[in-house]
Amino acid sequence: MSNTTDLTGDRGFQDIRESMYTVVFFLCAAVSVITTAGIIVALILPTITFLGEVPMSEFFLGTQFSPAIQPTVFGVLPLAFGTLLITFGAAMVAIPIGTLTALYLSEYASESRRAVLKPLLEILAGVPTVVYGYFALVYVTPLLDAIPGLELGTFNALSASLVMGIMIIPMVSSISEDSMNAVPDSVRNAAYGLGATKYDVSVGVVVPSALSGIASSFILALSRAIGETMIVVVAAGQTARFPETTSGLLNSFFVSTQTMTSAMVQLGTSDLAGGTTAYRALFAIGLTLFVMTLVLNLVSDAIAARFREDYD
Amino acid sequence: MATDTTTESGFGTVSRTKGIVFEYLTLASSVAGILALSVLLGYVFWDAFGMESAEIAWYGAFALLVVVPVLAFVAYTQRNPVAGEAALELFSTTMGGILGGLGTVTILEVVTGADIWFGYFVTVVAPLCALYLYGRSQPNASWVGLAMLGFLVLGPPIGTALLPITTTIVALIGGPFVYLFTLTIPGALVLRYVVEDYLELGDGDLTAGVMVAVALLAVPLVDRLPLVSRSVWAIFLTTLFAPLAVVVWKNLADRERRAGFAGPGVFAAGIGVLLVVTDRTALNGPTPWFDWQYVTTSPSRFADQAGLYPAIIGSVGIIVLVALITMLLGVGAAVFLEEYAPDSGLGGAVARFIRINISNLAGVPSVVYGLLGLAVFVNLANLGVGTVITAAFTLSLLILPIVIISAREAIRAVPDSLRQASYGMGATRWQTIRNVVLPRAIPGILTGTILALGRAIGETAPLIMIGVATTAFSPPEGIFSKTSAMPMQIFAWSSFPSQEFQHGVVAAGVVTLLVVLLTMNSIAILLRNKFEQEEL
Repeated sequence: MSNTTDLTGDRGFQDIRESMYTVVFFLCAAVSVITTAGIIVALILPTITFLGEVPMSEFFLGTQFSPAIQPTVFGVLPLAFGTLLITFGAAMVAIPIGTLTALYLSEYASESRRAVLKPLLEILAGVPTVVYGYFALVYVTPLLDAIPGLELGTFNALSASLVMGIMIIPMVSSISEDSMNAVPDSVRNAAYGLGATKYDVSVGVVVPSALSGIASSFILALSRAIGETMIVVVAAGQTARFPETTSGLLNSFFVSTQTMTSAMVQLGTSDLAGGTTAYRALFAIGLTLFVMTLVLNLVSDAIAARFREDYD
Repeated sequence: MATDTTTESGFGTVSRTKGIVFEYLTLASSVAGILALSVLLGYVFWDAFGMESAEIAWYGAFALLVVVPVLAFVAYTQRNPVAGEAALELFSTTMGGILGGLGTVTILEVVTGADIWFGYFVTVVAPLCALYLYGRSQPNASWVGLAMLGFLVLGPPIGTALLPITTTIVALIGGPFVYLFTLTIPGALVLRYVVEDYLELGDGDLTAGVMVAVALLAVPLVDRLPLVSRSVWAIFLTTLFAPLAVVVWKNLADRERRAGFAGPGVFAAGIGVLLVVTDRTALNGPTPWFDWQYVTTSPSRFADQAGLYPAIIGSVGIIVLVALITMLLGVGAAVFLEEYAPDSGLGGAVARFIRINISNLAGVPSVVYGLLGLAVFVNLANLGVGTVITAAFTLSLLILPIVIISAREAIRAVPDSLRQASYGMGATRWQTIRNVVLPRAIPGILTGTILALGRAIGETAPLIMIGVATTAFSPPEGIFSKTSAMPMQIFAWSSFPSQEFQHGVVAAGVVTLLVVLLTMNSIAILLRNKFEQEEL
């Protein structure tokens, strides 16, 4: 190397440039934190005003929701009931099918079948939700209505929750399958060595070992179902109901139902100018929904982290 | 635990049936959802193409002329995957070119107009590209990056100040010439590079010359066509015809890939023959709702006149903006988290917080993002109820977490040895990112971004919350103009009780949306395949 080479490492304005890029990239990453802060502030401020106008007890314990007709009543319970009803229906479809799918993919499927099935399953989650809603309204409801003895309304919770169940199958199956794949083969081989059959190994060894991942996938799927909007808006109708009797509970699946998300759409399409109680109720319901899904997501993370079986 | 179940039923007896039944139960579950969706998709395509009005004989002709040849080609690609890949390449270049052309026409003709585009092209786009190319050829010129940043910051105001002058120039030379200079000629330069250096197909100069010559020589022909203006021709030549020509050339040059033409070939020929047969004989064909009239006209109360055109243009405009915003912010954030963020100390804690925050944001319901958009972009920033820009910002925030997560994965997949080698040569961190990390991560980043954009184009709930119109009778005229979007129009029509709408117009809208999604996903798959091949 010649003597004239500058070995001091002084790069002049290159150093300034480098630190400038650091700042630019940090700002890009900071946008996500600003988004979170924005969501929280945007939801909390109108909610505080709202709770000044409508007492907290009326909002959380009221069994009536009628924002349009005077006198307006804002009880969130019927909406929460509708959300739980449809989430329950979706879970009844997605949890068994998703878990069995995960077992098939991780224990039984050949490599080539896995390569075909996995992207196909992902398609289920990729179809726009408004399209699913249309399917439920136009194709699934008439199909179910054709079953003798089933009296369905044009809008009903049953077809919305069935279709939503199909949509969240891949959420259950992909996370469950990941945790089943994480169970090391040595555990399986130990069971085979004791004379267990493939069925025993799958159900008796792999599922319990992967239980934390399976549970967290269930919770994530439920959280997705709670926040789902368009299927419910298009197919489940706009009637807020709170069943007073147990027979009413069973009947709720067959009639029009309103969920928290579809109530938000109803409020959002009627009034966006701001300044009314109905406008602020929109944000109060939004905050309730946000807190519910956030808690579920955090619980899911915590289960996955806390009860993870460590095989190292 | 596992042995318990077998000992209960008696020592040494193992039920084989139980195992087999269970295996088939799991298999049936795996395909249950897919089958259900296929049936629903079958219904919607059946409705959209008005198949119920066709005769049995027509189905026979359809199966014989279209289904059998296409299935035969698919079976053939199982043995010769290269041909399948070539066919996928042809398909996604054609569809992607149409979408890209639509997007460019929307942005340049409908939203900005040739004059404004020319102004900013001269002051921002052209200098940036020239500096970038200069920087590539002269790696030692460290002022290039700063100069680029300068143009990025100062260019827009200068462009705005010079608008009266540039507008006068545009008025003198005319819109089509603007596109010739700003799109066709730069496009020809890119073509020259792709043909000569990247694909090594042949003489790049000649190809570029041919492209410009075609652009000019076709003008008399274009003038005679209704619907197609000279500007639209210049745009589509650059986004669709030139890339398609190169892809055709590339696949024709390769003996093995040549077989890929059979796929699109038999499909087009089958449809063509079927149309002729239906036309010449008394055969009753289907009466499709999803046709040229549907995608080029405005919505209507009458089902047979209803169209999706304003909503398509609205969606395309929104998605182009979302793509720009999320690419810049998403890649920036991913680069920070993967390349800059320290592992420990205060910086490490900040980075960890940002990571957790991003994964939680990905789980926030989309309707809540709509509330954020309503509160911040509509009511606080006053960007207007249901405008293109409000919708684009809201959807950008919605898919940003997904884009960041996939961009991080793509950046993480770049081997560390490459970074170490770059640092060992004395490169700075930014030089390493620009020259080593990003070029290798770009295909992965693009794949993830396109898939996320597919999610954005189908989102409806946030658009309802920010007041995007369910029905618009004309396309948006600028980014601050009110707009509709495809999913919004589908949502609006699905509440019409008439059979013609529910089983016709809406089905056609769903098919349009799914075709757009299919195109985007096939481009993403193509990019991923290419990326994985280069990794090997």
